[in-house]
Amino acid sequence: MIEVTNLSFGYKKRKPLYNNLTLQLPVGSIYGLLGKNGAGKSTLLKNFTGLLFPKSGTLQVNGFDPKKRLPSFLQTIYFIPEEVYVPSLTAEGYKKLFAPFYPLFNEEQFYHYLDFLDVHDKGKLSTLSFGQQKKFVIAFALACNTKILLLDEPTNGLDIPSKIKFRKLISSVFTDDKMIFISTHQIRDLENLIDNVIIVDNGELLMQASLTEIAQKLSFKMVDTIDNESAVLYSEPSLKGHAIVTENTTGDESKVNLEFLFNAITGNPEKSKVIFKTK
Amino acid sequence: MSDTFNLKRFGLLLKKTITERPTQTIGVTALLLILSLTLYIVAKNIIGFNAAQNLTFVWGLAGGGFFLASFVFNYFNSNASGSSYLTLPASYFEKWLCGVLIAGVFYPVIFLLFYHLMDVLFVAAYHSSLDPNSLFYRQQYDSVFTFDLDGILAWKVYFMFAMLTGFMLIGGLYFNKTALVKTAIAICIFLAILLGLNWFTGIMFFGPIKEAGIYDHVTLEVGKAEGVILLPAGIEHFFRTGIAYFLPAVLWLSPLLRLREKEF
Repeated sequence: MIEVTNLSFGYKKRKPLYNNLTLQLPVGSIYGLLGKNGAGKSTLLKNFTGLLFPKSGTLQVNGFDPKKRLPSFLQTIYFIPEEVYVPSLTAEGYKKLFAPFYPLFNEEQFYHYLDFLDVHDKGKLSTLSFGQQKKFVIAFALACNTKILLLDEPTNGLDIPSKIKFRKLISSVFTDDKMIFISTHQIRDLENLIDNVIIVDNGELLMQASLTEIAQKLSFKMVDTIDNESAVLYSEPSLKGHAIVTENTTGDESKVNLEFLFNAITGNPEKSKVIFKTK
Repeated sequence: MSDTFNLKRFGLLLKKTITERPTQTIGVTALLLILSLTLYIVAKNIIGFNAAQNLTFVWGLAGGGFFLASFVFNYFNSNASGSSYLTLPASYFEKWLCGVLIAGVFYPVIFLLFYHLMDVLFVAAYHSSLDPNSLFYRQQYDSVFTFDLDGILAWKVYFMFAMLTGFMLIGGLYFNKTALVKTAIAICIFLAILLGLNWFTGIMFFGPIKEAGIYDHVTLEVGKAEGVILLPAGIEHFFRTGIAYFLPAVLWLSPLLRLREKEF
């Protein structure tokens, strides 16, 4: 469980990145944190892990204050940054040195995940390609079985087959007592993976909703012509006409397109906050 | 399991720290010992035994300790390794203790053992190379002896080691990149400020002065005569104790606080 109350954070005093951010994130979901470059996605993740400290407000992760970075807290959370770190060790050596810090680490799962992600190299991890290193760290993080897993741009550096395998793996290991939090600007990589969406922009929370709620409140459809432009949150011309996002007034649910959703929300921040009752 | 210190977890952390980057811990230590040996041999032939012993001891212990300490918290030169280090489930106290043990206990103990062994062997070799029938045998024999590890110079070097290594441990946590260079510059600036302030204080009290040792003495020049003004014994003792114990203690404890407050 992550509870954020009136969190403010900024690297510079006069330019806050987050201002009075409030979020309630229960376990049992795969969250997708979407935002433009520089929107503060990594910063938020770093606040969750205790790498950065809020300037004001409160933050509770698994019942702990992340700022204290207590071992009992750090055992419940695993953070994979965009650039991963692997020392000059073999996979076996890495496991021997790092795994004992995580009480729920499962060796069998670790080797299974490595196999699933096609990381078979027995040499030093530092000699692997960036994509292979990333897959290694993902396998290790999943085998640690922490309650919360935070991934910052996890698909950066992965080839297309690896991205597919990554999605499959995340879906297969997810259980209701866990939370997986994925921050990315590569929205398409999260299709069919996440069940909750958080969109931040300009230091503000624009939307936090489940896919079900989004489908209930917004309508994603194709039209030949746009009749009422003021009702359209986002439109994109295509060969079949126009793909549009509007407020769902009929109650008919459509399939959520994350890319269109993102553009609709960031293009209409105030309206979006009203639709999703964002504080 | 305690969140401050757990022996098993600390053992794991120490093992991880040393074996995760063997080049930067074992490798650098080995390199420093080899450099000390080389310096001793070269200096012995150029400037003589006693000067070589002193020079090697100063550079090997104080210089080597400073250099090695720059690797102890060298995790923050990349986002990935810094995040990995800070989010590893061990307490900041254990992480600090690990750094202190490597830089402040393991290295000096290994260096002192190596240095003493090297010194004893070279001195013994020198003594055995002398001709006992020579007229100057006794004089030559007595001119070279092993370095006194409990002597005045040794203690001055221990103090230097404590100060420099302490500075470097803090520097490693304040400067994320090129910490060694930045800390060295910071020490130079710190010393310059200290000397400057001391000089300024001396001038304020005594007018033109010739020399001013850091909060210790002032040398005055009146005409052709020179006079040294020393601190009163009580105050001098206070300053010496402060500099010898208080300052290193502050320098070695500061990384503990810095680790707790470190944002990355």
